[in-house]
Amino acid sequence: MNRRGGRIWPLLALPGTAWLSAFFLVAFYAIVCVGLGNVTELYQPVPHWNPLDWNVGYLFQGVSDVFPGGQTWPVVVRTVLYVAIAVVLSLAIGYPVAYYAARHAGRHRGLVLTLLVLPFWISYLMRMFAWTNLLDTGGYADRVLSVLSIDSLLRSLGLLDSGGWLGGQAITVVLALVYGYVPYLILPLYASLDRIDQRLIEAARDLGAPPSGAFRRVVLPLSRPGMLGGLVLIALPMFGDYYTPDLMSGSPQTSMIGNVINGYVQGGPQKSLGAALTLLLAAGLLVLMLYYLRSLRSERYT
Amino acid sequence: MHPKERPSAVTRRSLLARAGGLALTAGAGASLAGCENTTTPVAVAGAGGSGKGILGDPTAGGPVDASGIPLARRDYPVTLPRVNDQVASGAKPERGGELHVYNYADYLNPAVLKAFGKQEGVSVRVTTFQSVDEAFSKLSSGRLTFDVIFSSPDQLSRLVGRRLIQPLNFELVPNLERNAWRELHDPFYDRGPRYSVPYTVYTTGIGWRKDKLSFDPSKLDQPWDAFWEAGSARGRVGILDDSREAPGMALMRRGVTDLNTEDPALMKQALSDLQALDQRVRVKVSISEYETLPAGRMWLHQSWSGDLLNAVISYLPKGTSPEVLGYWYQAAGGPIFNDCICVGAGAEKPVIAHRFLNYLLDDKVAYDNFVGYVGYQPPLNAIDANLLFKRGIVPESLRSTVVTHEAYANGNAYLTLSSAGQQLWDSTWATFRNG
Repeated sequence: MNRRGGRIWPLLALPGTAWLSAFFLVAFYAIVCVGLGNVTELYQPVPHWNPLDWNVGYLFQGVSDVFPGGQTWPVVVRTVLYVAIAVVLSLAIGYPVAYYAARHAGRHRGLVLTLLVLPFWISYLMRMFAWTNLLDTGGYADRVLSVLSIDSLLRSLGLLDSGGWLGGQAITVVLALVYGYVPYLILPLYASLDRIDQRLIEAARDLGAPPSGAFRRVVLPLSRPGMLGGLVLIALPMFGDYYTPDLMSGSPQTSMIGNVINGYVQGGPQKSLGAALTLLLAAGLLVLMLYYLRSLRSERYT
Repeated sequence: MHPKERPSAVTRRSLLARAGGLALTAGAGASLAGCENTTTPVAVAGAGGSGKGILGDPTAGGPVDASGIPLARRDYPVTLPRVNDQVASGAKPERGGELHVYNYADYLNPAVLKAFGKQEGVSVRVTTFQSVDEAFSKLSSGRLTFDVIFSSPDQLSRLVGRRLIQPLNFELVPNLERNAWRELHDPFYDRGPRYSVPYTVYTTGIGWRKDKLSFDPSKLDQPWDAFWEAGSARGRVGILDDSREAPGMALMRRGVTDLNTEDPALMKQALSDLQALDQRVRVKVSISEYETLPAGRMWLHQSWSGDLLNAVISYLPKGTSPEVLGYWYQAAGGPIFNDCICVGAGAEKPVIAHRFLNYLLDDKVAYDNFVGYVGYQPPLNAIDANLLFKRGIVPESLRSTVVTHEAYANGNAYLTLSSAGQQLWDSTWATFRNG
């Protein structure tokens, strides 16, 4: 990098960086101060802006709630389980699509990419609302799934019961999460697969590796950063999601940590507890993020 | 916007009784105690001479909690302290400009607003809130002032405590006594009356699909049992997403008559009953029954009476007869209550605001507002049930959705709780919602 560029770019990045950090920090600090603040007898949260006044009571309560035996513990377990399954399914669905788009789509690549971006044209919420009609008993999707015997298959596996797709089924929530977030996984994955040098694969083949071997020993390791990036990208919002379980189920049996926070913050005297739980969630996600960054770094040095 | 396109029309009620109202920061006392509030037995402030009333107003009185927050009950009425001044009887109406109204979304007929604006030579601007909690937060920030504020009776004590509303001059609102139900001329939650006029009335009951549900809840010995006995409708049974209504329903099923109880044992029972219900029917928690019942997605749902009317007026799919909808409410001791309207403390047009309150209590205006848009019934003598059936506005099968004046007089309501009581209800609900 030359010197001049080294001076101009930070300057150009300054407004954006300032914008992002100011607005992120202000909002985040507000949440911190509510979570570490107090509540009046009128149930109004009182943020404690001065760190010296911070009250850790709600945070402690939040912490004791999310550990085994606590009130929120079952929800934490459920959320981790749902997100883990949804992420694995997303990868299983998304990887082949990204691989195809990057390496085999040929002249259709433009079309495939357009199709991948298509879901972003309609808001997430609207698409979820559409599914509530499609999956309703007698809805188109419900009928198709029934004709294909997919519902009876799932029923025999014990994954679905007589309540219908929208009757508070865990599987509907998990599949909806996959459906909603899989495009966010595919795009970074596609970018990383696309960058893999074709010659490396050819070299592997020339040296006698069968196609599967070349994939396993060359493509897969090289796409690891993209995979991890995509996984983190979808796992983070899934952890905070509350409208997907709300729309697809609405049952307490499928409520996720986002629903708990939403419940606290929406009304009643527990807004500070909601803010404290938000902080705990953010801390958990930070660990995930750090793991991702670390694995990227070790990737770069190997 | 057409009523059909108003998903939020009913969400306004989600926090109706929830917010707990606790007002009166009681001078400097306002102990920001976090979670460790204690409740002492309800005391009586003022009430006819002894003591200093509430907020030092000797004319105010009624039951209060430990921190001086008025806890109005039907048999223990509250006279709220007089904060701020009322407008003079002879005051001239302000001319021109805008009348600022603060209300739930889609809770006023735009045609009615337009007609009022024309009559008074002002334009009416409505700003909306999602919940009374939100409204209270924004009002108490002091940055927003409104001429007219829609609210609910359990909110009055906190609105008065923060001096956010002004006492009304009822000489400017003659329609209250002329047209409204007698019980609301001088309601127990606002003796005098001092601050409010009623807006709409509703009951909370059971809505169901007669063509889908295999039994008739209203025929059961204890109709609230319907939820627990609806195993065959698993996944299609819902209760209201409301920290008062849902546990309250479980209490009524057990025959509890005090919907404002603060007894931990009763709340524990309600929680375990709700959890048992969830095990049995995997109950849904929502406030969209005005749409999901007519659509047939839900077969049995705890409902507000206005929602069934809304369902018929706006949400019934083509080809579905209103006859498939059923509604039951507990006539003796079930929840029946009303919303109310106030004038803001910082009102720029207090006289026009009074005239607006009076206008909404006009028989014809109230009827147009109700039938033409809102779907929630105003408590006026002229709007009687028979008229609604005769005109075909409510199908005979939903006669039970009409709130009668007698039922209101005998009804029960979710009212302001003490701090500790509110915590108890909220944590009961949160525990259930977390599954």
